[in-house]
Amino acid sequence: MITFERVTKRYPGGTVAVDALDLEVPAGKTMVLVGPSGCGKTTSLRMINRMVEPTSGRIMLDGRDIRQAKPAVLRRGIGYVIQQSGLFPHRTIEDNIATVPLLAGWTKAKARARAHDLMELVGLEPGLARRYPHQLSGGQQQRVGVARALAADPPVLLMDEPFSAVDPIVRASLQDELIKLQAELHKTVVLVTHDIEEAIKVGDLVAIFHPGGRLAQVDSPERLLGAPVDSYVENFLGFDRGIRRLSFLPAAGLTLDDDAVIEVGMPVADALRACKQSGAPWLLVIDSQRLPLGWVSPADLEMLPAGARVGGEALTPYGHTFSVSTDSLRAALDATVLSRTGRAVGIDADGRVAGVTSYDSLRAAIHAADEAAAEAGQGGPARDGPARGGPARDGPARGGPAGQGAPG
Amino acid sequence: MSWAWENRAMLAGYTGQHLYLALTPVLIGLVISLPLGIACARWKWFYPPALTASSVLYAIPALALFIFLIPYTGLVGPTQSLTLIIPLALYSLATVLPNVVDGLRAVPEPVRQAATAMGFGPLRRLIRVELPLAVPVVIAGLRVATVASISLVSVGALIGIGGLGYLFIDGEQRDFFTTEITVGLLLIVLIALAADAVLVGVRRLLTPWLRGREVGTP
Amino acid sequence: MNAIGPGFAWLAQAQQWHGANGIPARLLQHLGYVGISLLIAALIALPAGLLIGHTGRGGFLVVSLANFGRALPTLGLVVLAFAVALAYLGSAGTSAAYIVPLVALAIPPILVNAYEGMLGVDPGLKDAARGMGMTGPQLLRKVEAPVALPLILLGLRTAAIQVVATATIAAYVGLGGLGRYIIDGLATNDYAEVAGGALLVVMLALAVQAAFVGLRWLIVPAGLRLQAQPA
Repeated sequence: MITFERVTKRYPGGTVAVDALDLEVPAGKTMVLVGPSGCGKTTSLRMINRMVEPTSGRIMLDGRDIRQAKPAVLRRGIGYVIQQSGLFPHRTIEDNIATVPLLAGWTKAKARARAHDLMELVGLEPGLARRYPHQLSGGQQQRVGVARALAADPPVLLMDEPFSAVDPIVRASLQDELIKLQAELHKTVVLVTHDIEEAIKVGDLVAIFHPGGRLAQVDSPERLLGAPVDSYVENFLGFDRGIRRLSFLPAAGLTLDDDAVIEVGMPVADALRACKQSGAPWLLVIDSQRLPLGWVSPADLEMLPAGARVGGEALTPYGHTFSVSTDSLRAALDATVLSRTGRAVGIDADGRVAGVTSYDSLRAAIHAADEAAAEAGQGGPARDGPARGGPARDGPARGGPAGQGAPG
Repeated sequence: MSWAWENRAMLAGYTGQHLYLALTPVLIGLVISLPLGIACARWKWFYPPALTASSVLYAIPALALFIFLIPYTGLVGPTQSLTLIIPLALYSLATVLPNVVDGLRAVPEPVRQAATAMGFGPLRRLIRVELPLAVPVVIAGLRVATVASISLVSVGALIGIGGLGYLFIDGEQRDFFTTEITVGLLLIVLIALAADAVLVGVRRLLTPWLRGREVGTP
Repeated sequence: MNAIGPGFAWLAQAQQWHGANGIPARLLQHLGYVGISLLIAALIALPAGLLIGHTGRGGFLVVSLANFGRALPTLGLVVLAFAVALAYLGSAGTSAAYIVPLVALAIPPILVNAYEGMLGVDPGLKDAARGMGMTGPQLLRKVEAPVALPLILLGLRTAAIQVVATATIAAYVGLGGLGRYIIDGLATNDYAEVAGGALLVVMLALAVQAAFVGLRWLIVPAGLRLQAQPA
């Protein structure tokens, strides 16, 4: 656990980079420091490993003032990842990763073996071990940087805009890797970024800074999106925070409509009756395996001959689906918006139809979640629940062969 | 070139003497320029005066420096080689010092920061990270210093200490015996180019991470 | 100081300042050699260096030439030139023979620094200039040459100092100038004269250096004054 106690950094000349910061980073969690340029986030980060010394105040690491330890010793217990990776150009990848263990006195064989383990952990092919940094792509170099920071298994990991220098696709995959790593390793991570989306995606807690080094708000991403403390934070969060907040609510909270689902081969008359009963404008046709086939409307049904059965052809494509178990409300909303019929298909883990959702049921689910949050005080589900189901929080399982080709 | 073959023992002797007179100062210059360069890189105010001094020194013709040293180290006797070695060492220092400083300064800042953050103390960082990365630039300076040194030793022949330069004096005195003069010229150029090639080889050896990449001047 | 004292004493003697072997005469001769050699060398090496730097082709040749030029021993070249001239042109031809080594050793620094000066021009700058519609020659004149100026001046300065040294040594085969004192003094074992000559040569070299520094200060716009490496 890391604690900032009224930490201030003032530079000769008068600039105040960090202004009386009180912040607590819980052990095993990811804290993201975010804000515009000049807000003191990087300075604060670098005070943790004493690359910058505070003008006043103190920083405690696991209950001990960090000034008690010699800087070099302190730093060997803290991993540090920077934007340009800072890999040693004159060392191979494996020797780069093995740097801190070797400094700590491990044998070369043991250090290299550890390097290989870490390469696997961060998703680097073993064949790259003897290469030099300049032979790797930017994304690969950053992975090496992370592996190097983790080599001596430090409890704390500091990351200064680690993914800003790579292109968006690589960045997204590196962010996913970090989330996955954290789920396994539970390090105390402090990450600095200027990208609020990254902060929300990756952080257990997000600290938003004012320019001038003052803290504006510290909260979980969900509470931040739901209850920004002032207009500065609100502006910083961006314009569609209402919808983005839905990423944190599980789709499992939706009441799905099963009445509007009919099996293929059902006689038309029965189908029409089911339609009137449920009051739904569209019916979902499924097969015997409960796999979705498409939508049919009463108008379509009335056009069929009286004794016919509902067929599997000439149906309106069922569109995008969302996973009831792993997706968020945002994914469900997205699928609904994209669907031709204004309704989305919810499927379970095996791909079978669990039910159908509409704008009404979505609205109800959102309302219910808000009530629950209000009741629990500032509460919301802990970050390890289904709301955090892996990297695909905002990305619904894009549907099967009949799905529209929307960008994943 | 049968003359060269006939006199090969003499030529070998002169060549050896020449190399000693040329390479010793380069070594001395390197040894001095390393700590000096490290100091200049560290304490920035130190550098401009050092640079100006080097620049002024380099403008002074070698022969003049040799001459000024004669009363101290003499033209004959045990210290005569110092008459050449001391000035040439100063030239080497003047040549290599800026390269040491530039080489150290060229170490990318992220690399330096990362090393500090991983727990490298300043000395360890210097030895393990900064100096190895400065090697190519330093060797570039060494190459210039070595070639210049080999060439300048021959000027010493004018005051009687000169390795292969002796061939020029002797050739002139023998009514301009062009073969001897040409052989002298060729030998000096050859050993200069050979020394240069050796240094390139050393650089390749010390910088495996640069293999296959452009380093700039060949 | 043991070395310089006698030299200064020698300089102070009034007789040194008169006549054909007097200091002013020799100084003028030496300056003349520097001037002419520098002019010829610049006429050859500057256009070549600028062109090679502008087109970007032939860089390898330039660098190799620089290495080779640095390896050429001054004394050897001077003696050889004289010997060859004597053999093929007789005594009459020897007066022209001095020019060859003086110019030859002045070419590499001018060439290399002009080339590197051109290389050092920011490609973005050239790109912007071409985008504004400048042709090749215009680019060379208006953009590249001015930016390369500091290094070009450095090359000329290095060459000038090289010529001062070469001319001094060429006194060995009969050239005039300040080297005369050194060579003659060595022949007659007159250390005072040798030291005096050496002092004069040093003062000339430093004066040349200072002159070029002053020239750079005058000519090069403040924004371009860089620390350039001697080549």
